[in-house]
Amino acid sequence: MSQSAIEIARNAARFLIPEFVLLATAMAIMTASAFTRQSRKVWCAIAAAAMLLALGNVLAQGSIKTEAYGSVVLNDHLSGSARIVLLLTGLVILGLAHEEPSDERAGEFFGALLVINAGAMITAAANEIVLLFVGLELVSIPTYLILYLSRRHAASREAAVKYFFLSLFASSLLLYGLGFLYGTTGLSNLKAIGYLLEKLPGAPQPQLGLLAIVFILAGLTFRVAAVPLHFYAPDVYQGSPIVIAALLSWLPKAVGILAMARVLTGVFATKEPTDPLLQKAVILCWVIAAATMVWGNFVALLQTNLKRLLAYSSIAHAGYLMVGITAAFATDSRPGSLFAGTESALFYLVAYAAMTLGVFGLLSAVLADGRGVETIDDLAGLGWARPWTGLGLAVCLLSLAGIPPLAGFWAKFEVFTAAISATRRDGSGIFLLLAVVGMLSAAAGAFYYLRLVVIMYLVDAPSKTAFTLRGGWPVLGSAAACVVATVGLGLFSSPVVEAARLAAQAALSRPAPPVAVADGDLAPRQFVRVAGD
Amino acid sequence: MATLLVITILIPLIAGLATALAPGLDRDQARKIALGAVVVTLGLSLVLLVGFRPEIRGPQFAFQTLDGHYGWAWIAKTDIRVAFGLDGLSLWLFVLTSLLMITAVCSSWESVSDRAPQYYGFLLALQTGLLGLFASLDVVLFYVFFEFTLIPLFFLIGLWGGPKRKKAAVTFFLYTLAGSLLTLLGVISLVAVNYLYSRGHVLTFSIPELTSGLAVVQWDDWYKTNSWTSPQVLIFLLLFAGFAIKVPMFPFHTWLPLAHVEAPTAGSIVLAGVLLKVGTYGLMRFNLAMTPLGSAALFPLIATLAVAGVIYGALAALAQTDVKRLVAYSSVSHMGFIVLGIFAMNATGLDGAVIQQINHGLTTGALFACVGMIYDRYHTRQLADLGGLWSRLPVLALFLMLAAMGSAAVPLLCGFTGEFPILAGAFETSPRSAVLAATGMILGAAYLLWMLRKLLFGPLKEPHGHTTDATNGHHPAVAPVGWYEIAGLSPLMILIVLIGVYPRPFLNQSKLAVVDLVETLPQSAVASAPARLDPARARSLDQNDRTPVLSASVATAPAASLGDRR
Repeated sequence: MSQSAIEIARNAARFLIPEFVLLATAMAIMTASAFTRQSRKVWCAIAAAAMLLALGNVLAQGSIKTEAYGSVVLNDHLSGSARIVLLLTGLVILGLAHEEPSDERAGEFFGALLVINAGAMITAAANEIVLLFVGLELVSIPTYLILYLSRRHAASREAAVKYFFLSLFASSLLLYGLGFLYGTTGLSNLKAIGYLLEKLPGAPQPQLGLLAIVFILAGLTFRVAAVPLHFYAPDVYQGSPIVIAALLSWLPKAVGILAMARVLTGVFATKEPTDPLLQKAVILCWVIAAATMVWGNFVALLQTNLKRLLAYSSIAHAGYLMVGITAAFATDSRPGSLFAGTESALFYLVAYAAMTLGVFGLLSAVLADGRGVETIDDLAGLGWARPWTGLGLAVCLLSLAGIPPLAGFWAKFEVFTAAISATRRDGSGIFLLLAVVGMLSAAAGAFYYLRLVVIMYLVDAPSKTAFTLRGGWPVLGSAAACVVATVGLGLFSSPVVEAARLAAQAALSRPAPPVAVADGDLAPRQFVRVAGD
Repeated sequence: MATLLVITILIPLIAGLATALAPGLDRDQARKIALGAVVVTLGLSLVLLVGFRPEIRGPQFAFQTLDGHYGWAWIAKTDIRVAFGLDGLSLWLFVLTSLLMITAVCSSWESVSDRAPQYYGFLLALQTGLLGLFASLDVVLFYVFFEFTLIPLFFLIGLWGGPKRKKAAVTFFLYTLAGSLLTLLGVISLVAVNYLYSRGHVLTFSIPELTSGLAVVQWDDWYKTNSWTSPQVLIFLLLFAGFAIKVPMFPFHTWLPLAHVEAPTAGSIVLAGVLLKVGTYGLMRFNLAMTPLGSAALFPLIATLAVAGVIYGALAALAQTDVKRLVAYSSVSHMGFIVLGIFAMNATGLDGAVIQQINHGLTTGALFACVGMIYDRYHTRQLADLGGLWSRLPVLALFLMLAAMGSAAVPLLCGFTGEFPILAGAFETSPRSAVLAATGMILGAAYLLWMLRKLLFGPLKEPHGHTTDATNGHHPAVAPVGWYEIAGLSPLMILIVLIGVYPRPFLNQSKLAVVDLVETLPQSAVASAPARLDPARARSLDQNDRTPVLSASVATAPAASLGDRR
């Protein structure tokens, strides 16, 4: 049953209320902070309240019907689950960062955090090329602000500038690709594009489709920090406060993968895997995934600065996520009961959020002799001096290394299962090869996580460093929540697996179009021309 | 009984967590809790052993749903399950783990004082890992336990080990992790093959179902073994990567001597006694049972590596001056025998391999315990510094003697009952490798007797300052053998003799599982068996002869084994 245009718009607006709440609060905070002087606690509390309000609203949205081929947003399992996860991690980041800005900058800082979260949520729900891009930019632009707000020394200014220019460059690449995507059908509704590309023979025009995939992927690899647009990550992480590094290691990656699910695999992975365009996409993603895993893991072995090490670790994890996306191009059109590509990548995201925010959170809380920890040697003896902090950190690190029974193991298991089950569709052994490359680089990667555990626990003499914890209950609570989630997901991941599966199916689902589309009323004329050329 | 099995597996973990995390436990409380937990676990394992019915095919003590699946759903959608059960292949390893843990705890009784609660916590967590691993009926569950064992052992070596413990712990962890990640790929591939090509696209992670399902998948390529990239050969190699490192097979053994020498005594006992068996157990469960054609195709390679390991390990042991390194290299040698027995692919060899796993666990565990006792007293393990200990520590000498003789496969002790069938089985398949491996037996006798002669006989020789009266110097007196040491070692000694004298009851428990396994093996390997057949094997051959079409590629009727599950 189709809705009228006004209903569609009203439903979309109702659906976006959580984002509006966040954005309105952000604007209010940012404006008010120019006039009144409040402590950062106040701003942080207001931001947290806004997030909780938004979370409540997201949870109550089950009844809103959005039209797949008409609405700019979609109320499906992907947007539902992703927004819940994004809001929960947003609260975690808020908890970790609650003492980060100085009082005079707190308003802008927390306002920017809210905008970033709203942008990420919009990206997850977007069903329209333009809105998707708006969501992505709502993530990027406040990020520049946050990076600049925390300027303390030349390095952090350099980080902000570097991120600014590269992000602009990546956004323009993405926009270029989105333009080509629009050009393939002349539509901007993503579900409609996907539907037409699936049903119409000869669509998309091969060169046009390839250009779209290449440029969109290029723009999004910056967000997920995958090779070749990964090189900003170590410098930017190192130059930023550790909480900002946590934000950067999680949110842009999540946004990038969600955007890929919406605009790449959700649109293109509809044909048989033998489709030449899909095969090219698979090869492209294969190279990106393999290079990212190998480069991230092996270069991380050389790092002694904690933030640089974690930056390379996050690059390596971008590689595993890309394995999921690679498999998605090959398997998602005919998903079986075994894990499929998008599904595994989405599960990986959740697991990655828990473990990486746990590591960053605990590291941000630890003070060694009153200073924040900088190099890996600063952690010497932490495991015995602060047993619970050390245990939490060790759990998250082992999870990042993929040791069962922790969340990271299941994430890797799903991603590589997806890759292997893609092998038959593809016929050649390249997916198995990708899995072998991934496993071997994961084994190499385990070394640097293990090295941190060794430094924390395996000390020869009792450490002379005095470890203290800062941040109070919000930081410790957030970090503890991440650790608990890491263990909990490892022991019982069934609900999240199920949610990821539903979300992945939602990203691909294309309901039968309403009569209007079938009659050609909604499909613009120029599409027929392009396809006919 | 299904509940009892789960409880048996969980008790050590619960006790371990309690010990490690409870505030303010001292050493005495911690070790008493640990001893209590391992004794209870052994008791329950013995109850399971008594309740085990060798005449039943398939896993026992398993919880089964109404539609015939084992265990409880874990990841519901893909049917990954938490399923435990024991069969003839895993039963003895399960009991052995429980038994050796007592030895491990007893051997740490006095020697571990630093951070004792955490030490026993890790030791008990390791026990749960191993028990769960042997009892797993689900490949993912198996793998979870398989890798979980790395964590406690990493900390045991890294925190309570010798001077180079950090390097040893990291090497051990990464080396085994690298291999086992490839094994994970192999396991996933098995599931994927079964899912994509079985009739009705069965998605299962259950070990019994995979074993029977993979034997009859409808995919012609699966039965080809003509190149390295044939599915079975490739998957065999992926699986082999992890298990071969765990065994360890030559040339992947390089982590072992380092880990053994640096590990605390209890770590060495568990490592050699049980953890190495994980490798051979995996080879039987996965490589042999699920990729039998790959096993047959790669037999020359595997046999070469196994024999090379037997001889190399023995020669390396001969060259050692440190007793612990000597025992470590002897493990490389003896594990080579077990692998050879497994891939002989006949009932004789497999029987030998199954029993030899137990024998090796008992003898090597006992040897490491004895070495630990010597080290606790003299703080040296150099052969050159010691001698004539028989007159100083007669009980220890007796233990060491029995263990070494058992390890050297002296008839009427346990080693013989394992190594002889292995060689006989290997001879049926490949006489050359059996003959070469037999030289390893001779070398084995040589280095073990040489060790005994240096340590026990001749004039008493002790490092400077160690005497019984402790009047001169500041060294403590050489303590007599304590009750805990006797308690830890005597069960092993009794079993070493018992298995050597009367192995039949031990073999009986695993008989049916071995026969089942042999029935799934490719015809070429089984058919080379000479006339001397036991009735069960003759029956299996008859069956295969009657179904020549099937047996040309793979011989099995696994559905039969699913019929009469408990």
